[in-house]
Amino acid sequence: MPSMDPISRNLMLDSLKAYAKKHITNDFIREKDQANEFPAEILKDMYDHSIMGVHLLMIPEEYGGVAGGTYDIYRICEVLAHIDLGIATSVFATFLGTDPLNVGGTLDQKKKWLERIAKENLMVAYAATEADAGSDLLNLRTRAEHVLKNGQLTGYRLTGNKQWISNGGVADLYTVLAMAPGGPCWFLVEKDMEGFSPNKHEDKHGIRLSNTAGLSLDNVYVPKENLIGEAEGQGLLQAQAVFGYTRLMVAAFGLGAGWEAVEQAIRYSQQRIQAGSPLCDKQGYTHKLIVPHAVRLEASRAYIEEIACRLDGGEHGLQTEGAIAKYSASEYGNRAAEDAIQAFGGYGYTHDFPVEKIKRDVKITCIYEGTSEVLEMTIYRGRWQEHLKTRGRYYADIADEMDALHAKNPDVGAQAAGLALRALAAVLEECRLAKLTRHQTVTFKLGRLISMAELAYVFARSAAKEKYSESVRFDSQAWQAMARVYAREAALLIASEGLAMVLGCVDSAGNLSAAVNMDAVQAAQKGMTADMDLVAVKLKQTFKAR
Amino acid sequence: MHIAVCVKQVPDTTEVKINPETGTLIRTGVPSIINPYDHFALQTAIELKRIHGCRVTVISMGPPQAKSVVQMGLALGADDGVLLSDMAFAGSDTWATSYALARAVKKLGKADIVLAGMQAIDGDTAQTGPGVAQQLGIPQVTFCEKIDIDGKKIIARKLIDGGYEVVEVKAPVLFTMIMPKDYVPRYPSFLETHASLKKPYYVWSASDIGAEAQYLGLKGSPTQVARIYPPPQRGKALMTNGSAQEAVEKILDIMRKEHFIAE
Repeated sequence: MPSMDPISRNLMLDSLKAYAKKHITNDFIREKDQANEFPAEILKDMYDHSIMGVHLLMIPEEYGGVAGGTYDIYRICEVLAHIDLGIATSVFATFLGTDPLNVGGTLDQKKKWLERIAKENLMVAYAATEADAGSDLLNLRTRAEHVLKNGQLTGYRLTGNKQWISNGGVADLYTVLAMAPGGPCWFLVEKDMEGFSPNKHEDKHGIRLSNTAGLSLDNVYVPKENLIGEAEGQGLLQAQAVFGYTRLMVAAFGLGAGWEAVEQAIRYSQQRIQAGSPLCDKQGYTHKLIVPHAVRLEASRAYIEEIACRLDGGEHGLQTEGAIAKYSASEYGNRAAEDAIQAFGGYGYTHDFPVEKIKRDVKITCIYEGTSEVLEMTIYRGRWQEHLKTRGRYYADIADEMDALHAKNPDVGAQAAGLALRALAAVLEECRLAKLTRHQTVTFKLGRLISMAELAYVFARSAAKEKYSESVRFDSQAWQAMARVYAREAALLIASEGLAMVLGCVDSAGNLSAAVNMDAVQAAQKGMTADMDLVAVKLKQTFKAR
Repeated sequence: MHIAVCVKQVPDTTEVKINPETGTLIRTGVPSIINPYDHFALQTAIELKRIHGCRVTVISMGPPQAKSVVQMGLALGADDGVLLSDMAFAGSDTWATSYALARAVKKLGKADIVLAGMQAIDGDTAQTGPGVAQQLGIPQVTFCEKIDIDGKKIIARKLIDGGYEVVEVKAPVLFTMIMPKDYVPRYPSFLETHASLKKPYYVWSASDIGAEAQYLGLKGSPTQVARIYPPPQRGKALMTNGSAQEAVEKILDIMRKEHFIAE
């Protein structure tokens, strides 16, 4: 679905923020977090179409929804993550649970179920994971046996156990993945079906406001009309078809939660006076604990937005891109929250200040919807094919584009991004020549380096635009400085770690040392401190102490 | 009855800071919101619509992005919306704005009640609402916190020093609204916002409302802003405690020390 008009989207965001300001206070969150309690009344309002109706974003207009596009969903997910990642996860579970219907449902199924979800404010859960089937869904154990009457198929009997299901104990409707005789399928299971029961609410490290529970299915009869798509064997394809944008939602979670932690640290740093001046004026503090994270999160934002716009423009799949977005934003969000605790010192280590809760919460974004390690592999696989298909031109061509951009606009880090992309191309080629991808560690590391190079590329392009998107809270001077800082960091890391990785596997890296162009990468570091100084000032202006 | 509500898009002043070097407002990244007093005026109109079946028109003046506050009005329940948007309006002060809004209300036909916020939080002038009444030649009741309709009578509760007055008036009339203490601003649901796109919405230019150029924009504005500056910071307050006698002694000590009174 294309995204909605910006005014409608921002009115919805304003409504959400106003609701949160009134009802989801820090004290409320802290109490529920400590009690490991699902805030049922808040989620009821979130799903009540006369109060909020967040779940309607995933539902087309003809079925009573508001038909949000990927960009809209990214924006809402980011704001939800600023509020509380547990509540965000509960909303996300309904988005995710609705997906198999949106992707694979027949017209009759969509009409019946999407209308019910919209009008009856149904909370949905997405039940795929099992004890031995997490990243490896092919290992699915839940079975769906045929039920026949007079030789005709009337329905299925589902038996098995699901694990770590968000909304597991509180949902009204479940989309359950099970192995039918014809292959994996999604089934619609209602909470009161006989033989179906949720298990206890998990005691988790973070997102404790989100209900997570296992599910037991003991010979649960499901009519054949509840088989999504009414054809067996489509389940995994239906699941994979939406990874591009479901992972973008989790990317938005990493972005929102990470920024919330950084913003809190920036505001605090203006009030905390040590040795005669506020922490925000000390380079050793800002350039270590604040600025790098703000920069990396904004690089992630640029990337998420680009992919959201491409999906809204009608492109399908984009699974490698979805993986890059999620991997980067979640890892950066997690590291940002970790350093936010450090930025608060001893206060950050107490429950009285929200950053330690954000840190516990945001860790999940590195795990669910594909762990960071699975994503590193996914990213490597996708781009390795491109490298082979183009005989090494894939990143060299993008680097040429960066050089052209640098000639037009020398302020957006395009030169350093070009160096990063060329270094990456050289590392990939050396891996091909020396057959290094037989080492799993090389493939995972390549996934990381690829992500950095692509973020540097997209950030430079985005920072060169005349007008930034509505979500960018900085002026062009600040955003361009951030793009430069990120591109330098990416170039240095790809060249040095890429070289080190290869040298770790072979006796001699041939001419890779020259090919990654370390001299130029080092020369491109010029101006880094001044840019970080500028970003530190802009951050202070943007997020003033309250 | 037909109610016209005037609303304004303003920067969220809780987020605005003044650049101490240039004395100008730092607007970067500051969100725009509906003026909170106008928000209450809007909710008052919607409530009257709910009880009495009035028709509600929401009107704003501003750049194209000010459509947001009109759409919010529609989402909350207004029947139709108008945005006065034209370069000719740019730079209008309260007089020129009142003139344009009054022309728009006239174009709507017979508006029985005009509602506006007491003042906007960006300028705090409290002049535009009364200005519209004056331009329309209708009575006005300012600083109201409640409006009721009883047949042909419109009853307003107007805040005054130390209490309130109950004022009965006949249409047409303009009220400016304050925010009562127990007021809870309502924001539209996602569905209401989505549905508001289907409601009648018009963008009117200066010529659409038959406004004369000489009364609009900078040219038509008698107000000239010489300078904006933050008020000088006040000294820190000192609190004393203990008995009245002790507190007085402490205060006298301080006054002596600061040479307000002789030693």
